[in-house]
Amino acid sequence: MLFPTVDFALFFCLVFLGHWVLNHNARAWKAFMIVASYVFYGWWNPRYIFLLAGVTIVAQLSAMVISRQEDQRRRMWSMAVGIAAVIGPLLFFKYYGFFAVNVTNAATTLHATLAPPLIQVALPVGVSFYTFMAISYVVDVYRREFPVASWADTTLYLSFFPHLVAGPIVRPGELIPQLDIQRDPRHLDIVGAGWLILGGLFKKVVIANYLAAAIVDPIFGEPARHSSLEIGVAIVAYAVQIYCDFSGYTDIAIGVAKMLGFQFPQNFDRPYSARSVQEFWRRWHMTLSRWLRDYLYIPLGGNRKGTVRTYENLMITMLLGGLWHGAAWHFVVWGGLHGLYLIVGHWKTTMRARGVLATPPDTWWIHALQWASTFVLVCVGWVFFRADSVGTAVSMLGRLVSFQGGPSTLVTAPVLLAIAIGMAVQFVPRAPGAAIRSAVSQLHPVPMGIAAGFALFAITTLGPRGVAPFIYFQF
Amino acid sequence: MTDESTSSPPKRRRRVMPAGRALLVILVALLVWAVLYAPELKRSADAADVGTRRTVSLAILDPLVWVTDHTGLTAAANAAARAAGRDPNGEIGGDSGVDALPPAEPNQQQQHHHKVVKDTDIRGPTPDKQLRVAVVGDSLAQGVGFAADSVFKPFWAEVFKQGRISTGLARLDYFNWMAQMHTIVDRADPDLTLVMIGENDNQGMLYPDGTLEQDVGTFDWAAHYQGRVEQFAKIATSAGGHVVWIGLPNTADKGRWDFIQRQDTIFQAVADELPNVAYFDSWNTFAAADGGYSAFYRDGTKVREIRSPDGVHFNTDGYALLTEKAAQLATKDFNLDPKTYAP
Repeated sequence: MLFPTVDFALFFCLVFLGHWVLNHNARAWKAFMIVASYVFYGWWNPRYIFLLAGVTIVAQLSAMVISRQEDQRRRMWSMAVGIAAVIGPLLFFKYYGFFAVNVTNAATTLHATLAPPLIQVALPVGVSFYTFMAISYVVDVYRREFPVASWADTTLYLSFFPHLVAGPIVRPGELIPQLDIQRDPRHLDIVGAGWLILGGLFKKVVIANYLAAAIVDPIFGEPARHSSLEIGVAIVAYAVQIYCDFSGYTDIAIGVAKMLGFQFPQNFDRPYSARSVQEFWRRWHMTLSRWLRDYLYIPLGGNRKGTVRTYENLMITMLLGGLWHGAAWHFVVWGGLHGLYLIVGHWKTTMRARGVLATPPDTWWIHALQWASTFVLVCVGWVFFRADSVGTAVSMLGRLVSFQGGPSTLVTAPVLLAIAIGMAVQFVPRAPGAAIRSAVSQLHPVPMGIAAGFALFAITTLGPRGVAPFIYFQF
Repeated sequence: MTDESTSSPPKRRRRVMPAGRALLVILVALLVWAVLYAPELKRSADAADVGTRRTVSLAILDPLVWVTDHTGLTAAANAAARAAGRDPNGEIGGDSGVDALPPAEPNQQQQHHHKVVKDTDIRGPTPDKQLRVAVVGDSLAQGVGFAADSVFKPFWAEVFKQGRISTGLARLDYFNWMAQMHTIVDRADPDLTLVMIGENDNQGMLYPDGTLEQDVGTFDWAAHYQGRVEQFAKIATSAGGHVVWIGLPNTADKGRWDFIQRQDTIFQAVADELPNVAYFDSWNTFAAADGGYSAFYRDGTKVREIRSPDGVHFNTDGYALLTEKAAQLATKDFNLDPKTYAP
């Protein structure tokens, strides 16, 4: 079920009602919410619920086995087996096709008879997200950072519908304790939640969908037919599109959870205002960044084992982060580029600390230069992320810097306006938004609902027709 | 609209409210939106497959539309839509990925309509007068259209992508392909039209005014459908253009095979009967060795994944392969110059 649909609106009204009616009865509430979340997930394909249930069962059994082991080696082995079992379905669904085709072709080239069965596997929506959450749970139990939860709590932790299909990637300690707190139905921040939902819809429906249809898809589809100006604008438009698409989804997810009385961690914090790539990663998809840091980079040794190992660990983390997005070389290159950016950034910081490199003066124009160079580096990465192959990305960048002339009919005033709005939200102060929310919250429910209805109408009218899926659903 | 943050608390405290009042806000918001957006929702429901969901949706929306119309809100909503750059009477699926056609030239229609009794050659392109290739049909044609942009060389060929998602020949009330094909012929005058359509046609056939022509599942459905296919192909070739009608491939869902094979039989029969229309058999070209569905294609020694995981569409590689093969058929049947597309 997609968030910006009539189906979801009706579903949410029923869930909202059931949630608050059953709020005082923890067992009934959990059962209701599990059923609702599975209905939400099964709406795409009822068979997917078996996968979600399977991952839940494996994660819970692993956590139970780990918690019973006193011997550290046994605990570690139990954790390793548990992670392998949890991640197995993800590896199969995401990478089997890629593996089978490449092995078959390599075997044919070598005149070998090895040929794995060619099976096309459709990637179940959200599997990457709830698998990472399941790993968090298993590892946190192993580290004794979190106790084994009940079956109902684990099931709800992994399936809770607001975060289920595209995050944020919530850690057990952030969500499971909230499941046992009785939420106060008298104090609901409807304006804060509504602001997030309407703002998220605006970013997704009006900005992201429009830019995708108006310039990004046509130009990334066939860059050879377009001028350098169009290609440059399309790259920036994609940067804005993917931000508005993904952060829009996250805002809706956080807003929906807020309406039910839950707090989710922040996932985006004005990423394009960053003045270094390190800062960008502290602001972009923050729950994935910290997951990679806590469950991959630090266990690899982090920065504790010398400079070379730090660089290796950064590169491995970012390459795997790239591969997490899909079994394709262009994602690997995207991850590798960011690994390289981070290594260079780390090296510069070290050199400055040692006094080898001068620290740049704290002036506005240096800040502007740092911001611009960071944005350009991130945009170069996005070309590899969005293009369908490394070859397409390289030819696109080549065409961009070779100053190809020709008409630029896709660079229109509405496109530039949409880009400007998408960029402006990175920089506008937060205070006016807070003041507006505060003023709206003083309204009576009926005028407040009428205002929200008009806002919803404006959003659906301004956006292109049809429902475009969120970019991150494919991961 | 900016990213959620817990920092910078507002000076004036935000008022919270009980869940019951919050539900009232949600319901009022949805009601106001539904009333304002009712005409669009109704058009969307009208376009859905004939069935229970459509019937229920229309039963709910009809009174809402009545309210919207009689309170003058429809006119206001339409004005708002126009101000936002959207045609309130435009297509439900939108025109994303559809290329603009050249403007109509006066009396252009009268210059065409030559009678052809057997296949003719497609004219050779020149740098001054490129080959004009139109790609028409449903979402499968959208994929072919994007692939055609890459497969046909920009120096020799101009591609007009005209694929429209969720359309077909059964529901002319939803999208009138007959009228649109006339427009394409009049304004783009394509030398070659690649047609791929029919994936959404397993439903009752409606006239443009919404009245039923023939229910699906009836004995006469095939004859009526063949009439529409024939009419469409005649329009596409009416100005001397050529058509490669790409048949539907098999799907992962075997339950759909019988119907698709009946459609393919009709497409092939029409292509056999009409001059300048060729049929490309995508079913047998891309089927597995045992005749079943395969997402992979063995090209000499290499295996490629060519189908989308939905089991219906192709992936980017698959569309490129399909388009190349359709162009090769045009070379074989209509002597299309291979330099327009060969690598």
